[in-house]
Amino acid sequence: MPETILEGRGLSKRFGGLIAVNDVDIAVERGEILGLIGPNGAGKSTLFRLISGVMRPTAGSVSFAGKTITGRAAHDVCVAGVAVTHQIVRPFRDMSVVDNVMVGAFFGRRPRPHGRVHAREGAMEALALCGIAERADTPARALNLSGHKRLEIARALATRPQVLLLDEVLAGLNPTETDRTLELVRTIRAHGTTIVMVEHNLRAVRGLCSRIVVLVEGRKIVEGDPQTVLTDERVVSAYLGTAHA
Amino acid sequence: MAAKPLVSAAIAIAALAVVPFVASGSEYAIEVLFLIFLYGAMATAWNLLGGFAGQVSFGHAAFLGIGAYATTIMTSSGVSLWLAVPVSALLAGAYSLVIGIPAFRLRGPYFSIGTIGIGEATRLIALNWTSLTGGASGLTLASAPPLVQQYFAALALLVAAVGLAAWIRTSRFGYALAAVRQDTDAAETLGVATTVAKTQALFLSACILGVAGSVYALHYLFISPDSVFGFSTSIALVIMPIIGGLGTVTGPLIGAVVYTFIREQFAATLANADLLAFGVLLIAIVVFEPRGILGIADRIRGARKKPARVEATDA
Repeated sequence: MPETILEGRGLSKRFGGLIAVNDVDIAVERGEILGLIGPNGAGKSTLFRLISGVMRPTAGSVSFAGKTITGRAAHDVCVAGVAVTHQIVRPFRDMSVVDNVMVGAFFGRRPRPHGRVHAREGAMEALALCGIAERADTPARALNLSGHKRLEIARALATRPQVLLLDEVLAGLNPTETDRTLELVRTIRAHGTTIVMVEHNLRAVRGLCSRIVVLVEGRKIVEGDPQTVLTDERVVSAYLGTAHA
Repeated sequence: MAAKPLVSAAIAIAALAVVPFVASGSEYAIEVLFLIFLYGAMATAWNLLGGFAGQVSFGHAAFLGIGAYATTIMTSSGVSLWLAVPVSALLAGAYSLVIGIPAFRLRGPYFSIGTIGIGEATRLIALNWTSLTGGASGLTLASAPPLVQQYFAALALLVAAVGLAAWIRTSRFGYALAAVRQDTDAAETLGVATTVAKTQALFLSACILGVAGSVYALHYLFISPDSVFGFSTSIALVIMPIIGGLGTVTGPLIGAVVYTFIREQFAATLANADLLAFGVLLIAIVVFEPRGILGIADRIRGARKKPARVEATDA
């Protein structure tokens, strides 16, 4: 019997007249890699923001590890054990790469590091896992896009999350970098972290995710294993238009 | 790495501690050093919030004023200085918590504009609460401690402020403030309670300014809303760290040295022309080297030694 670790019930977010997320139920099982897909503007990133506390839902509730976390501040949600990466990378540009990650190590889920040396160790571990340990002392602004994406992941990992929400970590990467990042996601999961990923790269999603949730225009339309979901008529028509279905 | 600055700091403090005995004839030199210490401590305090956390306040005179008035009122009714100064610091700190809650709902330039309003509102309260503050005619104290005692009080305050800043810079708290400055939302998602961190920085900053207010009042023996609560005082607090190097440990102190010298130069010749000098200096720094004098020093060092040291001041 799979255990639900993170759950959103009846989540909605309204911006004036626009309903970005409309009555979505989503359940994440411990240890899985759940894919969240849908066309642009389907509400995927907004759903992440509702779960991670960056935005407060208009309606609905979020619970994590059996506790309601609806409306909690983003830093509280992170400390509880749900970390999120940003689709558009947001490094602390003037800090070194390792200092960026140390922020996550210092302030993430407990137990927290005692002191700077210990925090740096945690940060270096996360950097090593993400394959950018050799860039530790360069200023974050000197990284390229692939480096920034890895830094986003390393920083989130350093908070020692139980659930990691990855928002389009593959976007803009070339095929080699994509493969390396997919490998990284598998490794993170193997370390025991549950993963939810928003992704446009359907091939990656098919190979990586155990389950997929499809959002279209703010609503969840299908949910299930990759094979079933990606051949579903409604999903194909949402992506390609009805004429091709 | 931490040893070298510590040694140079110890030597500098020791040297400054013997100055009053060596130069006891030159009251003016002691006076100027006293002012540098006092302004240095004030600038360092402002920098905790404005530099480290990136929350630029134009209303920090409020805390100086509260410290100055609290100390003047208490000591003139017979309270010992040993009690009056800590209470002044805590009053300034308490006031900072009251105004921090609404002010930190604003961000970036909006926060800065908000603090102008807070600073001016505080001045107007001081101006109109005549029964407590004496209004526009201000308050006077009967006697000051000897200048040498003031000198050491200001030096101690400066050392405490700079020491606190140096410690914060490399601490967990310092990481929170640096993260807040660079991207508040990203800091939040990494577990940093950003509003709490900003409020703590504001509180520490206000307490130090409260003590500075006490020292100010005891030195000048006369305070009025336009002097200690004045907008120009708030501006001075912004100017000094920017001149020296925003968000660094020693920058505000360097800024205070420059500030005090320029002011003293013009005070004797062209009063108020110092404002013109500060304006020109500020524009030059913002345009050519936003990291201030420390940034210029870094460039010179970088030009001399070929492999430029990676700038670590912004950790």
